[in-house]
Amino acid sequence: MSSLVGFLSLVFAIGINFYLFLSRYIFKFQKQKFNLFIRFSSLLTLLSFFSLMYAYVVSDFSNYNVFQNSHSNKPLIYKISGTWGNHEGSMLLWLSILSIFSFFFSFTKNIEDNFQKLTLIIQAFLHILFGLFIVFTSNPFLVNSILVNEGLGLNPILQDPGLAVHPPILYAGYVGYSIVFSIAIAGLFQNTDDEWLYVAKKWSLISWTFLTGGIALGSYWAYYELGWGGWWFWDPVENISLMPWIAGLALVHSLMMVRGEQAIKKWIVFLSILCFSLSVFGTFLVRSGILTSVHSFAADASRGIFILLIFFIVTGFGFLVFLLKEPKKSNALNLLFINKVSALVINNILMIIATLTILLGTIYPIIIEVLYNKRISVGGPYFNSTVIPIMIPGFLLMSIAPILSWQTNKINNSKKYVLAFIILSILVLIQSYFMDFNTWGFVGLLLGFWIILASIIAIFSSYKIKINFKFFKIINPHVAHIGVGIAIVGITCSSVFKNELDFNLNEGDKFNVNGKTVLFEKIETTNEINFQSLRGKFLFDIEKNQSKEIEAGKNYYPVSKMITSEAGILHQWNKDIYFILGDQKNNEWFVKVLINPFVSFIWLGVIIMMYSGLIAVSRR
Amino acid sequence: MNKIFVLTPLIILLIICIFSLTYLLSGKDPNKPPSALLNKDVPIFESSSLYNSKNIIKTKDIKNKKTLINFFASWCSPCKIEHPLFFEIRKKYPELYLLGFNHKDPASDAKKYLEDDGNPYDFVGVDSDGLIALEFGVFGLPETYLINEDGKIIYKFMGPLTMDILKNEIEPLL
Repeated sequence: MSSLVGFLSLVFAIGINFYLFLSRYIFKFQKQKFNLFIRFSSLLTLLSFFSLMYAYVVSDFSNYNVFQNSHSNKPLIYKISGTWGNHEGSMLLWLSILSIFSFFFSFTKNIEDNFQKLTLIIQAFLHILFGLFIVFTSNPFLVNSILVNEGLGLNPILQDPGLAVHPPILYAGYVGYSIVFSIAIAGLFQNTDDEWLYVAKKWSLISWTFLTGGIALGSYWAYYELGWGGWWFWDPVENISLMPWIAGLALVHSLMMVRGEQAIKKWIVFLSILCFSLSVFGTFLVRSGILTSVHSFAADASRGIFILLIFFIVTGFGFLVFLLKEPKKSNALNLLFINKVSALVINNILMIIATLTILLGTIYPIIIEVLYNKRISVGGPYFNSTVIPIMIPGFLLMSIAPILSWQTNKINNSKKYVLAFIILSILVLIQSYFMDFNTWGFVGLLLGFWIILASIIAIFSSYKIKINFKFFKIINPHVAHIGVGIAIVGITCSSVFKNELDFNLNEGDKFNVNGKTVLFEKIETTNEINFQSLRGKFLFDIEKNQSKEIEAGKNYYPVSKMITSEAGILHQWNKDIYFILGDQKNNEWFVKVLINPFVSFIWLGVIIMMYSGLIAVSRR
Repeated sequence: MNKIFVLTPLIILLIICIFSLTYLLSGKDPNKPPSALLNKDVPIFESSSLYNSKNIIKTKDIKNKKTLINFFASWCSPCKIEHPLFFEIRKKYPELYLLGFNHKDPASDAKKYLEDDGNPYDFVGVDSDGLIALEFGVFGLPETYLINEDGKIIYKFMGPLTMDILKNEIEPLL
């Protein structure tokens, strides 16, 4: 029953959007009526999504999708997240989020009626494309022809609270760019005043904030679940999310800086199209099964071709409109040697080069396989040695960009900054002299701390300190940059100053980690419902009364023949101590201990960035 | 100069799409995820016959003959779809040993299913608690494995078999 409701409401929603799409040429609607239709179709799409979720919650195995991917013994939260834990459901989630964005956009005030209508029509067009994709290649509402009473979805690997919320948040970021895309295209068609820029800014900030959260959650999951002690692996799927993120960052900054310059407006339109194109391209790469990674579901080629077609239509349409209808009128670029505009332009160029570099590394294996039928993989070394050097000048510029002037080359209080920079450099140099000197470590720390320091100086010397919302809005750009600085310090320390210790131990052995004594208490094996667990128990810092217990081990899932590593992590504010239990040889257990300094700074930095993303939404 | 700037994205788009399309059409089959067991020995199993609980089949019983193992259940609708195909296989390759494992099924339902749709298998083993499927790493029903004379798994297919798959992928291995 719920399958029928879900399917019908989905088809009906697509039908309404089709009607709206035609309405531009055939029927003339009042704004009110038009918006009503948009909202109705959005609610229908949501109804369709929730019918599927309902089928999962009540374990309705007459639905083939539920039968394939769920099991009545699953905990409720994983039944719910099971809705998007498979290809069909996740595409329906994608479409639902698109609808939610259209729904809220239909309430936007202060923009011209025709402009709003055109934007929503483009959204309706996207809805039709992805809706047809779901109906024809990935229908989650297929019904089992005979009665079944149990599902097959025993695969437990995706059963993790972090992974339950990671896809919706990430999708909110990806799909959010659809509205930015629609706004930009509508802007090109209508060539109205610059009001659309403010609307676009708001939505691109929202999308960017969601995308940041989604990436960070995925990255955090990788950190504690994969058991390699790292949080970023340049996995193709990570790269795919990073590309729209960087392009989105460039977009947000351009939108904040634009003062009616034609060149920048053009650039904004370009970035808006690019962000959504990269999102759709990411969907294509993941959903077509072209890339192998933890995210690949079994897919088939017809789906891949369908999404490739959507990607081609959307991107081709976007850039074609861009080619034919350039933004008109407005004033020239006020480029000086070093003012806000020139800093923005340089930073934008750097970010686009970084995006293209990542794009090249990501699709290179596909190109090579097509040309030479050889399978290669492009990994960390390529990205580390290309992307990071490209970004460094950008970070340097970023530290002073908010205090640059619009009209002149002058920097207020420039002496203060120079002095602060010199003192900071000496301090970091001394610090790295006492630790092992490492060029990357030195550069990273100097950069990170310099961004933080410069932002703090700017806050104190440029504004009167008050504690109210308005003040937080004014200093928001500096706060965002402090977040970046903190994240850079975290990234540098945890990757450059990481310490790795290997031990071969018997139960009851004591060993030394970072000057603290650790006791390897015992090994425990237990049988859980769908896996066997093996755990090594460690007591950290046993000389103190409040010694901390750490458990590290592995789980064996017989169904999928997979062993997952379960790292034991002791979180401290300035470092994570990360225990990995290896194999047993000659009655001794191999234990790896990683000391990751300042990892928590990365998450703190990300949270600050997201906070200021949200604050910036309310700022005009 | 200006036109080149706006044309570049379209050119890049075209290149990416051409390569991706070629890749997709090059016939790589994502339905065939590499199994951890591929080219490894058959897991050790022991199962009694659906029709006579004293009749036992063990791993060593299928040594020295090519065996097709199929996991099925009466409640599994895709199994019903592929079922007729096993009669064709039976007819075409009489020397191939067909071993069916009845997965998590009440015996009466399983018997009725094989009565109604016919029994193509040389032996129907009972896997009522699903432990054998666990050993084989079965993701979902139906699943089919081809074992060679040395007792190694040489092919695995998830989902209902079709004539195309039988022709293009299984027959070359027989």
